[in-house]
Amino acid sequence: MRRLFADRLVFATAVIVILGSILFALLRVAG
Amino acid sequence: MRLRYAVRGAIWIAFYLLFILAPLFALLAGTWPPARDFWTEFAVALGYSGLAMMGLQVGLTARFRYVTEPWGEDVIYHFHRQISLIAVGLIVTHAVILTAGRPEMLAPLNVLEAPWSARFAIVSIVALIGLVVAALWRLRLKIGYEAWHLSHIVLAVVAIAAGIAHMVGSGVYLVDPQKRALWIGLTIFWIGLLLYVRIVKPLFMLRRPYRVSEVRRERGDTTTLVMRADGHPGFRFRPGQFGWLTVWGSPFKITGHPFSFSSSAAVTDGRVEMSIRNLGDFTSETHKVPVGQRVYLDGPYGAFTIGNPADMHVLIAGGIGVTPMMSMIRTLADRGDERPVNLFYGSRDWESITFREELEALKARLNLTIVHVLANPPVGWTGEQGFITAEMFKRHLPPPYADHEYFICGPDVMMDAIEKALGELNVPLSKYHSERYSFV
Repeated sequence: MRRLFADRLVFATAVIVILGSILFALLRVAG
Repeated sequence: MRLRYAVRGAIWIAFYLLFILAPLFALLAGTWPPARDFWTEFAVALGYSGLAMMGLQVGLTARFRYVTEPWGEDVIYHFHRQISLIAVGLIVTHAVILTAGRPEMLAPLNVLEAPWSARFAIVSIVALIGLVVAALWRLRLKIGYEAWHLSHIVLAVVAIAAGIAHMVGSGVYLVDPQKRALWIGLTIFWIGLLLYVRIVKPLFMLRRPYRVSEVRRERGDTTTLVMRADGHPGFRFRPGQFGWLTVWGSPFKITGHPFSFSSSAAVTDGRVEMSIRNLGDFTSETHKVPVGQRVYLDGPYGAFTIGNPADMHVLIAGGIGVTPMMSMIRTLADRGDERPVNLFYGSRDWESITFREELEALKARLNLTIVHVLANPPVGWTGEQGFITAEMFKRHLPPPYADHEYFICGPDVMMDAIEKALGELNVPLSKYHSERYSFV
């Protein structure tokens, strides 16, 4: 169960990093 | 304690994300190079983020007690493994997107003629793929643990160093001296983490050695090493915690092995015990350790420990997973704790129950109930047998089950089954603690 929590953290981190990268690219293209 | 851990855990997650995303968004400060298309910029961002994640991997396994405590070392190692797959995935995706628009870059001739920055990229990606393949299929590839560990460090350093070289060589963002300084500073920080783990920490351990004062054979092909601090006061640990033990060689040796302390945490004379079962690998040599042998201990670590308010401690052990439980039971007995302790103890057979006689003796000093669960019970056995189940808990524990504090340590299969069984009894996650001893 604790490893499930760690897996969720990994998933959340991946989503945040990918969203951050999309935001970075959008800011660059728009800017 | 739980709330404090939750707050600390949240702070460290925020720091982790900050260390990955802040260096990326810092590239947007000041003047920008001319914008390229969305996919190129997205791929570049993935590359920077992936590299930042790879660099921080060293920090995750640097055994910073203050960082790992809220989760436990096993969860941190699990996170380290899983997040590395994400980081490698981001870096490979970065390369795929960038080369998708320029297929000529994939031609072998052009790879050979490619600029240095592109060659560094190839070196980095090959090292990363080697890292992942060796980590995922180490046993199938029959790579010994020590050889794998050494290759793991070398490949990681090569991958990160080549990645940095690629970034500085081809990154249009790092033309700006301030941004370049930021990323080089970040790299120095990662290198610092590595130096701390491999140089500073072993130096500290070298000055605080231990000596084996007794080697005791136990039931179940297990050997207890009794160790005493040599020339220093030793450390205090909490029952259930573990340490990294290096028996043969110096603390600079690439690999120590994690073992739970099995002795009472109430002992304050610098003595600690570890009970090690012969699992056919390096552990088969434990009984040959001579009395007087100098050993090194890095610890204590782990959040698998008693201390929360509880009406009853329920300890669930499978095989050699009994060692942290033994420390808890001995400690509670030494402290004169009057709360009931229930030990569910799964073993192969009656003869191989490690600490069997001492556990019986401890019943006189503690409100201890032991439920032995045997895989191969002897003829005429009337006790529990097979696997530990929710039904077994109902037979031996008083309800409400959610009021007790549960501790589980054993093989992965057993741990998964017990966690499921406790879920069936509506025991909340906050009431049970587990430590997987197969985490490295």
